Amino acid sequence: MSSFMKLLYNEQIKIYIRKSTWVMYLLMAAIIVGLAVMANSFGDLNEDYQGNDWREVLQEENASLTEEMEKEEGMEGFNSDQIAKNNYYLEHDIQPAKYDAWQFVAENQMLLSLVTLFTIIVAAGIIANEFKWGTIKLLLIRPISRTKILLSKYVSTLLFALFSLLAVLLFSWIVGAIFFGVNGFDQQIVQYQMDGSFGHSTPMKQIVEGYGYQLVTLLMMATFAFMISSIFRQSSLAIGLAIFLMFAGSSIVSYFSDKAFAKYILFANTDLRQYAYGEPLIEGMTLGFSITVLAVYYVIFLAVSWLFFTKRDVAGQ
Amino acid sequence: MAEPAMQLLDVNKTISNKQIIKDLSFSINPGEVFGFIGPNGAGKTTTIRMMVGLMNITSGDIRILGKSIKSDYKQAAQEIGAIVENPEMYPFMSGMQNLRHYARMVPGVTKERINEVITLVGLEKAINYKVGKYSLGMRQRLGIAQALLHKPSILILDEPTNGLDPAGIREIRTYIRSLAEQENVAVIISSHLLSEIELMCDRIGIIKNGELISTQNLHDTPSEKQALQVQMEVTPLEKAKELLRTEHNVEAAIKDGVLLLHSEKEDIPRLIQTLAKHDISIYQVGAAKASLEDKFFDLIGENTIE
Repeated sequence: MSSFMKLLYNEQIKIYIRKSTWVMYLLMAAIIVGLAVMANSFGDLNEDYQGNDWREVLQEENASLTEEMEKEEGMEGFNSDQIAKNNYYLEHDIQPAKYDAWQFVAENQMLLSLVTLFTIIVAAGIIANEFKWGTIKLLLIRPISRTKILLSKYVSTLLFALFSLLAVLLFSWIVGAIFFGVNGFDQQIVQYQMDGSFGHSTPMKQIVEGYGYQLVTLLMMATFAFMISSIFRQSSLAIGLAIFLMFAGSSIVSYFSDKAFAKYILFANTDLRQYAYGEPLIEGMTLGFSITVLAVYYVIFLAVSWLFFTKRDVAGQ
Repeated sequence: MAEPAMQLLDVNKTISNKQIIKDLSFSINPGEVFGFIGPNGAGKTTTIRMMVGLMNITSGDIRILGKSIKSDYKQAAQEIGAIVENPEMYPFMSGMQNLRHYARMVPGVTKERINEVITLVGLEKAINYKVGKYSLGMRQRLGIAQALLHKPSILILDEPTNGLDPAGIREIRTYIRSLAEQENVAVIISSHLLSEIELMCDRIGIIKNGELISTQNLHDTPSEKQALQVQMEVTPLEKAKELLRTEHNVEAAIKDGVLLLHSEKEDIPRLIQTLAKHDISIYQVGAAKASLEDKFFDLIGENTIE
């Protein structure tokens, strides 16, 4: 192994040997099973449409929904949406696919914010904990440059994020397969789009897009937590600040939305989905602009982490 | 003369406009055990942190076998093994896992070497327990083990006997001596336990307010001509004191029931003859060797923590 690989190996051991890491994974697994149980008992698994008479079933459903709407006023919103969706199936001649593991994985994309949360916790601790344990002294007296040690810690954080992402995907698929079975790749899923109309795509595309777009936030917030951890050498502050910003980000943007600088706020740029579907958050923003802003933030986060980690004295606590 | 193992050249350290270390210069030779002592806050730990590269040197330089810790960090650090302050390890890993972790950070540490070091510090039984369950003494041993893994030329130990029981202290002391004498390792020890330092070290440096105020060789035997401090247990004290003054013109003081006086070594038999002739009972005569503690307080004064 090269010396850098050995450092990475060390850092990975220090992450995965601790019980707290496995508690996070257990929690994630429990949530996934819970979601599957819920979908199984309350969700619409499209089992009614699996026969050859699926067109008739859809039409009958539309008729009864229209009837219900006339009787009870309150149901209007939900029922007309359902009718529009059913019509979309009929118009495009798509047989509603039975709910399966792939769809379950695609729907679990919200769990990526959990992965982001875990990654923030790991990023916040990976430097700060060495200071807390006092082991930073023994770590930094080895014949290895501080830059290399810092890099090994950063790459380790990203590896943790990657492994956690894979764990969510894999475990969701396995749980989904057990609960709902597995369809082929060619099924079409009809879904709401951002602009309010319906569209259809394969579950694989949904998985890639749904998870992929969220990786931007994950990367930025994990790097941010890493920086705070390097500056203050304290993990609770880094965790608190990063999580607060992650959830308050969009409110911050809307609060300042009439100001000229609003489009330079990190959180105005983290959701790249705005360019693929619908309007950008603030007029005049383009995909290229957002990527540039993200890159500038990213470089600043890393540069500040590096400066504080390599230049500052390691003094007594 | 051989190249010094470690050389401090006009080392200064300023932290927020306060000069913590002032023009510190000294060198440590291979095979020498050097005691680094001084009151709390004198700058011992700061100096040690600069030696191992944990702190930047404001001005001056520290050379390890001629290589600067500032500009040639990797080569210099390769030669150092250290415990800085407390031997803190990863509490959730076993002793063995901790050692393997550090072994992966330097090239060329084999499994055999790890086992050798474990045997050396006597941790065979506890090596697979989690460090969180270790006593301070066990952590101290593990700390010494990790410092020795890569066979450094210089070993820096901050309070190495802290937390060890008397048997452990003796073991470590013997081991440090043999490292210096047989493997020519330069050992730097900082400690508050002056008696410990006295037993282990060849030479000491005393630091006070960031300045090196003295280095002393502990194995110098006093020269023949030098006046010794002599202690005599005799009765009656007053008569003996009077006799010494009248017969030999020696001023003696009475302290704690004994007679204290300064005399050259060759004069002592005559003093005793005189006392014996005048029927003074002599129980004991000895040279009062000044302990390191006395020297220490002579040099820095008491209660000098600022």
